[in-house]
Amino acid sequence: MNPNLQKICSKCPEISLINVTKTFSVIRNRKTIVNSIKGVLSGNSNNPKPYSALNDINFEILEGEKIGIVGINGSGKTTLLKTIAGLYKPNDGEVHVNGKMILLAGYGIGMVDELSVKENIYLYGAIYGIDRKALDEELREIIDWAELQDFMDTQLKTLSSGMRTRLGFSVARFMDADIYLLDEALSAGDKNFKQKCDEYFDSTKNEDKTYLVASHNLEFLKMFCNKTLWLHKGNQMAFGETESVLEQYNDSTNIGPKSQN
Amino acid sequence: MNQIKRIFSLISNQDYFDKKYLNLLREIATVQFKLKDQSTLFGFIWSFFHPVILLIILFAVFSLRLGENVEHYKIYLFIGIIQYTYFANSTSSALKVLSSMRQLTTNVIFPKEVLVIGSVVSNTIIFLLTMAICIIIAFFTGVKISWSTLMLPLVMLLELMLVLWVSLLLSCLYVFFRDLDDVYQVFLRGLFIITPIFYTMSFLGEGLAKSIVLFNPLTYLIDFSRTLIINGEVISFKLFLPLFLVNAIFILISLKIFKQYEPKFAENL
Repeated sequence: MNPNLQKICSKCPEISLINVTKTFSVIRNRKTIVNSIKGVLSGNSNNPKPYSALNDINFEILEGEKIGIVGINGSGKTTLLKTIAGLYKPNDGEVHVNGKMILLAGYGIGMVDELSVKENIYLYGAIYGIDRKALDEELREIIDWAELQDFMDTQLKTLSSGMRTRLGFSVARFMDADIYLLDEALSAGDKNFKQKCDEYFDSTKNEDKTYLVASHNLEFLKMFCNKTLWLHKGNQMAFGETESVLEQYNDSTNIGPKSQN
Repeated sequence: MNQIKRIFSLISNQDYFDKKYLNLLREIATVQFKLKDQSTLFGFIWSFFHPVILLIILFAVFSLRLGENVEHYKIYLFIGIIQYTYFANSTSSALKVLSSMRQLTTNVIFPKEVLVIGSVVSNTIIFLLTMAICIIIAFFTGVKISWSTLMLPLVMLLELMLVLWVSLLLSCLYVFFRDLDDVYQVFLRGLFIITPIFYTMSFLGEGLAKSIVLFNPLTYLIDFSRTLIINGEVISFKLFLPLFLVNAIFILISLKIFKQYEPKFAENL
């Protein structure tokens, strides 16, 4: 590839969000045909009060940037990642993504409980475009890294949450993508696993792959992320250099979160 | 082939004939097969026994009256039951697939119609095997199997197309209406009655009942299969072609609707 062209492209934003707003309806009634007919007949069309999960979010991420996302529980971290992933449609604003994405949630969320470890790996391979033959070569290593040698043919639902976290992460490492969306992906791991993850993140730090990591582990964010986004109750409180954003975040959590005017 | 690709590209930018897409489809179909416990021999025997038991009951009840003048009434019944069961089972399981695979639907980035198509494919495998067994039984019970039976895959393709678009629509609607399953089960009971499974068209006479039954696409598919297997005659392309085109158009429409609502699945499940 022409090196000049590459230079220009690496300046292009890989992910950009413009005034993104996402509201959820707090469902009062179960969604059924019967309830819809009732709603139409009684004149109120079952429009519950919307709950705002993301409010006017704006940022741009360049190729190869490592972005941390912090915020207390319920601040909209998962909603943001799922909106970028295209799983949620924003009610307002635009999401532009340029590249292939992988979304990885902790505790092996997004894998099928009734399938075995091996079958889940094959399924994930297929989802991300790797067929069984190519995956067979990596299978040993994926299982070894996750330390699940004795659980190859065990149904996923019988694994502990730590084991599931390890499996999810181990699989994701082998899937080829440009953008990795990690949602608490490192939670529930033990010391040994954390160390392995640190090694992995150290090695990817200088690669041109883009990472968005939602985490409560501030030490990790300081180590890995060059920028951080702070969300509070769906509002974008700060976005910028990790050090300064985390400082603001720490100040606010010490004296209780400030509400935005 | 390129023409077909161009038509599909109007609906979404997904390449439906891409190797990776087909690989994913195969994997999902395998998963569905396993989850239904049909990858084992016993699992398959169970799904085969279902239509057989229905066959025995219907034969016991109707063979003397309704089946009196029908040649090879056993096989006549069996073909009807197999085709109806395939339609009912595959659409019912596809209806729920987005919800039963919620883990994937709400958390993983991939085209969600693969779940529906995969579910249909796994049911189609059972259908193919059962139909093959039906032909073998027909042979041993004295039906003269002729070359026309070779046209059966065309009829099965037609039924697959019908199942496919009905499944795409139902699975999508189920996300927004959770009692659709109950409603659909009632509909399927009704469909059983308005499909000529245990009676013949002449039994209906010339009234409203006949018009209703003729409006039912399953009527034609079952009639085609019986013509090919029992009568050993060739099917009429004057009927086949319009049915093929109508189903093809409905597949495109329902795929379009599915893709339209796809971004709303995760938050509504």
